[in-house]
Amino acid sequence: MPEALSCEGVAVRYPFAARDAVGPLTLQVAQGERVLLLGPSGCGKSTLLHSLTGLIPHAIPADRRGALHLFGQAVESRSPADWADRVAILFQDADQTLAGLTVSDEIAFALENRAMPPAEITLRVTRAMSQAGLPESWSERRISTLSGGQKQLVALASVLAQGADLVVADEPTACLAPAAARMLADLLLAPGQTVLIVDHRLGPILDRIDRVIVLGREGQLLADGPPAQVFATHGPTLAAQGIWTPLAVRVRLELATQGINVPPVLQVADLVPHLPPDADLGPMLLAAPLPPGPVVVCLHDAACAPPFGPKVLRDISMHLRGGEVLGILGPNGAGKSTLAACLAGLIPPREGRRDGPPGAIAFQNPEAHFTTDSALAELAASGMTPPQAAEVLGDWGLSHVAQQHPFTLSTGQKRRLALALLTATDRWPVLVLDEPTAGLDHAGTLFIARHIRRLAARGKALAVITHDADFALSVCDKIAVLADGTIRTDGPARQVLCDTALLQAVGLAPPEATPLLDWMERKG
Amino acid sequence: MIGRLHPLPKLALCLIWIGASVLVFDLRFQLLTLALALALLWAVERVPLWKLLALMIPFALFGFGFLTTSVLFNQESGFALQMAHEQGAASPDFSPGLVLFARTLACGMVSALFALTTDPGQLVRSLMTHLRLPAPVGFALMQAMHLVPDLGREMQTMRMARAMQQRRPMRRIPRPGEVMALTIPLLAFAIRRASRAAIAMEAKGLRPHHPRSQMKTTPIRAGDTAVLGFGLAILATLITLLDQT
Repeated sequence: MPEALSCEGVAVRYPFAARDAVGPLTLQVAQGERVLLLGPSGCGKSTLLHSLTGLIPHAIPADRRGALHLFGQAVESRSPADWADRVAILFQDADQTLAGLTVSDEIAFALENRAMPPAEITLRVTRAMSQAGLPESWSERRISTLSGGQKQLVALASVLAQGADLVVADEPTACLAPAAARMLADLLLAPGQTVLIVDHRLGPILDRIDRVIVLGREGQLLADGPPAQVFATHGPTLAAQGIWTPLAVRVRLELATQGINVPPVLQVADLVPHLPPDADLGPMLLAAPLPPGPVVVCLHDAACAPPFGPKVLRDISMHLRGGEVLGILGPNGAGKSTLAACLAGLIPPREGRRDGPPGAIAFQNPEAHFTTDSALAELAASGMTPPQAAEVLGDWGLSHVAQQHPFTLSTGQKRRLALALLTATDRWPVLVLDEPTAGLDHAGTLFIARHIRRLAARGKALAVITHDADFALSVCDKIAVLADGTIRTDGPARQVLCDTALLQAVGLAPPEATPLLDWMERKG
Repeated sequence: MIGRLHPLPKLALCLIWIGASVLVFDLRFQLLTLALALALLWAVERVPLWKLLALMIPFALFGFGFLTTSVLFNQESGFALQMAHEQGAASPDFSPGLVLFARTLACGMVSALFALTTDPGQLVRSLMTHLRLPAPVGFALMQAMHLVPDLGREMQTMRMARAMQQRRPMRRIPRPGEVMALTIPLLAFAIRRASRAAIAMEAKGLRPHHPRSQMKTTPIRAGDTAVLGFGLAILATLITLLDQT
């Protein structure tokens, strides 16, 4: 098949950087191929994507070496804007990359830039909205009134309308609820499309991928081939580098440490028939139980609302004990972050009451926590002595960036620094973490999960907002599902997350580990 | 109803009326302008009165400066007031400070009439279509409109983070010191966001001096021109009648 993309020794180095951000890389993507680009955080995946149409170095200053061709033509022979007629880019952060004021404006934007006839644009916009499941009534809706997940769906519709020969997508499912993520995968990765996608959430996309390209920590090629072959051959290497692998691969590797060998499969359901009765899956799937402490914080018939906004949640009654981790799940726009602020005591409930000491939130955007010019200074500002601050940074794996400005850290490092700030002292007995694993590689997610359990063991009351049901299963003792402005259900994590019908009814998905949980249940 | 008019004739009429308000130094004209714009917003567009009064607060504060200067510092501001007084169509019967105060309110209410009845996206699109506003400038304006609510949300998050660090609940209204402390981080956020938006727009094919089409173009219809003509006729009649009395 003819090539859509070809890289020959491509490497990118940012100004003043000591080493290349990515490369040298040599790889090809054929037309009609759906390729997943994997790698640990900071290995240069986004940098590579930005180089493909020449945004690096045209719009983002950096030095690019090597030869890069799109559809047989040198990338630099056209401007990045000229390539928009053949290449559509779905950016990581839809929140900040939408151009139009209304939904239809946004979807029409790229087509208008190609000077298409208005009638053709209208047709394509209507079709793309219908494909992406956007109601017709949203056509004139202001983009600013949409939630993050809804904006991502608009961005998807915009890419679909473009009808480009190659789609490049950078973590498109990161902030989507599972049902929306599945729909995005269905549309974006339909057979016959040429797609290069970077994503950490493998569940919704894995069965639609033809090939996986894996970059190592230094931004060089680690593996390349069909998913089954790559994960079977390179599973241990990928796991060692902290790269996300399918759950079935992780379970297989964990079982190998117990001396149990099972065949290399990609789907969890295919693993179950090979599990011996003595396999112990509990420690890798479920949170280790902790003795519950006294009730730390309570909401009684609370109605919660964002500052200056209308009430988004009503009749909320819940309590949180010391040593307990509560998972808060819900579809996009369900009011999870508002509940977090109310639970932490930062926003008083509009109705009802909250009992308990003040708590803290680790915000989805960790940059909101930083006020000084170095990681060390952030901790010092919270009242710690320099040796204490250095010890805490070491504890969170941040010693090597102690003198760096917090804004220059990677996403994972920023999240860890924000958590270090909130947990370094015993100031807050209640902690709420808003999407703590969004955009993190497997190593980063494991690190956060371990610290959450460690904090719970220290007697803290924790609440975790997440879209990742498997992560919730591994760190939470109980789960509350928000939908339609209230708590739809709550209870022990395993019980709630096994209620597939309820989860699907509110646009969520059960954990990928469900077949394994069923197996454990049957085993008793 | 006014919202359905094409933004450009409406903009032209409002600008001409504001121009007349600046040139005609007559309290009656200013009050009539104020009353007319207020009536259109309240009776035709059903904008709540409290909202209109709240919108007039900054204009009233600004205009109040003229009034107090005129009353309290009549001697010192004599030259400026004399100049204003000698403008065309001046009415000799009222205090110049009062006229200036009413002029500020009248101009404010006409501006509110335009702003509250015009879709900003449609205005920018019309400017691009009919007045050849370059597309990069037009979409930069739209990005600025996106930025305002985003900045608001980011500010709330930062305020919560600071309230947390200071172990206090978040205040509903921030204190001046708090607002000052947030200025630099918010500016940094705005710059980062604008850079990302610019990169995304380039990736979607936006480039200067390149022909582009528009899905939605609103033509200027005969009705829009008629409303412009009718508005100008009222303005001319008003000025003529006031000049003769």
